[in-house]
Amino acid sequence: MHHRVFHFNSLFTWHYMWAEQLLSLLIALLIFVVPASAAMRFQERSLFMNSTVPGAVTSYEVSFQYMSPQAVGSVDMLFCVDPIPYNPCVTPAGLDVSDAVLSEQLGEIGFSIYSQSTNQIILTRTPGVITTTGSSYKFDNVVNPVDDSESFAIRLKSLATTDGTGPQIDFGSVKGQVAEGIFIETQVPPILIFCLAEVVADNCEGTNETFYTDMGALSADSTLVAKSEMGVGTNASGGFAITANGTSLAAGTTVIDTIETPTVSVPGTNQFGINLVENDSPAIGNNPQGDWANAVASDDYGTPNLYKFVSGDVVAYSPNVSLMKKFTVSYIVNASPSLKAGVYTTTISYIASGRF
Amino acid sequence: MKRLKSIVLAACAVFVAGLLLLPTPASAQSSASLSITPKKNYTIEPGRTINDTITIRNLDAERSLDLSLRIVDFTFTDDGGAPQLFLAEDAPQTTWSLKPFMTTAQSVSIAPRSSETVPISVSIPEGQGAGSFYSAILYSAGAPEGGNVGLSASGVTLVFTTIPGIVDEKLTLEQFGAYNTGTNGEEPGYKLLATSEPTVIAYTLKNEGNVTEAPVGSIKLKYMFGKEYNITNVNPNESLALIGQTRTFTSCIKLQSEDIDFNGTRAEATQCASPGLWPGLYTADIDLFYGQNGNRTQEIISSAWFWYLPWWFIIAFFVVLLIIAYFVWRIVRAVRQRLYGSHRRRSPQRRRR
Repeated sequence: MHHRVFHFNSLFTWHYMWAEQLLSLLIALLIFVVPASAAMRFQERSLFMNSTVPGAVTSYEVSFQYMSPQAVGSVDMLFCVDPIPYNPCVTPAGLDVSDAVLSEQLGEIGFSIYSQSTNQIILTRTPGVITTTGSSYKFDNVVNPVDDSESFAIRLKSLATTDGTGPQIDFGSVKGQVAEGIFIETQVPPILIFCLAEVVADNCEGTNETFYTDMGALSADSTLVAKSEMGVGTNASGGFAITANGTSLAAGTTVIDTIETPTVSVPGTNQFGINLVENDSPAIGNNPQGDWANAVASDDYGTPNLYKFVSGDVVAYSPNVSLMKKFTVSYIVNASPSLKAGVYTTTISYIASGRF
Repeated sequence: MKRLKSIVLAACAVFVAGLLLLPTPASAQSSASLSITPKKNYTIEPGRTINDTITIRNLDAERSLDLSLRIVDFTFTDDGGAPQLFLAEDAPQTTWSLKPFMTTAQSVSIAPRSSETVPISVSIPEGQGAGSFYSAILYSAGAPEGGNVGLSASGVTLVFTTIPGIVDEKLTLEQFGAYNTGTNGEEPGYKLLATSEPTVIAYTLKNEGNVTEAPVGSIKLKYMFGKEYNITNVNPNESLALIGQTRTFTSCIKLQSEDIDFNGTRAEATQCASPGLWPGLYTADIDLFYGQNGNRTQEIISSAWFWYLPWWFIIAFFVVLLIIAYFVWRIVRAVRQRLYGSHRRRSPQRRRR
């Protein structure tokens, strides 16, 4: 061993002495300097709101696990709509922690409230090194936010100073949200308007009161066509979806096959399909009518001259608020020469729903 | 006597046959124009009951709206927010079904241009474990008689109930990056190389817990030369990932809001606007938070990248490259001419010949 060390050192003549020292210094810097300067996220973060009723005066229990083994003198708790620390802080509507009282503390203790405002509490103590990691702090007399349509967050950070200033040690956010058993309609309640008939008015205020259509006599040489209209609109932020439900045209036990993938109309084969756009083969239908562009026909039902019908498929949707839009549904039926004679009928049920 | 008996029997038979053969008056078709509440959210502790109402409006000016009401279960259709309703009468009950806890009216009749409130009650028994439960109330108008194709209009209210307590929450980030919604005719999906300007950043989360989740957070988009775009609300519609669903949430890089008049009320409509991206490499960082009250707030952090190279830029790039190559060739040629003259000197071997 001594022999090897001797040889190792002999490699580094005085020419290499400065390089050797520089390398040692760099390694020392990597080991000691980098971890100490990196802020870490609190782990096991949670918020328990004793009551989630909007505007209620209640208690909050904030729990988290300190990660950095450094002396902590204060903890900053900032209540914002957005949990991201570098984004601007918007105070949740109605929230008030200016009269909150620190009623219980577990884990890292010895804190008292240094300062507080409507949306901020700074806890202070004599700086001390973290000995227990899991800690929780309970605050009484907190006024809940009032808006149950959005969540809020508490942006947490621990600091070495006792007044909440200076560089942070650990950081992280906890999420909370008020919710009420029954929605109080202080705002415009979301509604979904839907109408259906052979012809409907633009705003669903009237229809031609025809809810079925005679398509004529089936023939192997031609395609039978029909159309209906539906109007839909919603002020719900999640938008709407319309599904088409039912079976294919049937006479007794004889059923005309539905088209399961978007396909062109082929006279002389058994086909039943629909789409929601203007076609020229056969010439039928209209493109969706209405100014608002976000309500659209689904991909499989939105290509001209391609028809499909699978029960339960979404045929039209909007991802968010949509003014009234009118969709024209085109139906095509083809029959093979061998199709049994009979009166073929079906009922298609269109179901309009909100989106989750 | 026998003759009289047969005459009476024959008369009865004719009467019954006549009754059967008489055209039965077709039941009047109900209105098919309705306005409903699309979604309800409740938070109910075990042992408590909530009594609420749902308002349904008949928009038809002449016909009454006759609806039959039914509670059905639903799940997700795909990675979007459209529900898949289990309409069959014998459909098995889902594990998240609200059916055992919810009651409502079985039918309602609404006069033309008026509205009715339908009672709804959700009662959670003592000892019920925490989690999310959801079902839908289906309002069906009667089916018409006659014709080959009959039309029937139905509406649905989705009802979500959260039972507070310690729950099992697990969201896994499956994908994240620039997303094409497919509205421009291109195939919808995530894009590493976009030739049309990306307007949407999306993230796909798999929900393996026993509660629905609505994540919050932000996305920071950085251009290769430093410009930043901040999406401060990655779930503005409070969209949900249902139990077992792999849900794709989309966020506009630049959101355009507009106040609109909807049915006599003001509503805020949003859509994606052009963010004015320059061609080049973009990196995106996402920071998501989720967690129910009293449960651990969990955080998902990830990064992604994509190239935005529109066709005009690719063409311009190659044109510029060709121009540069041409000028380099000209310079090289000019330098060679200066050094060696207009004709190359013959090699010594050639000269000897």
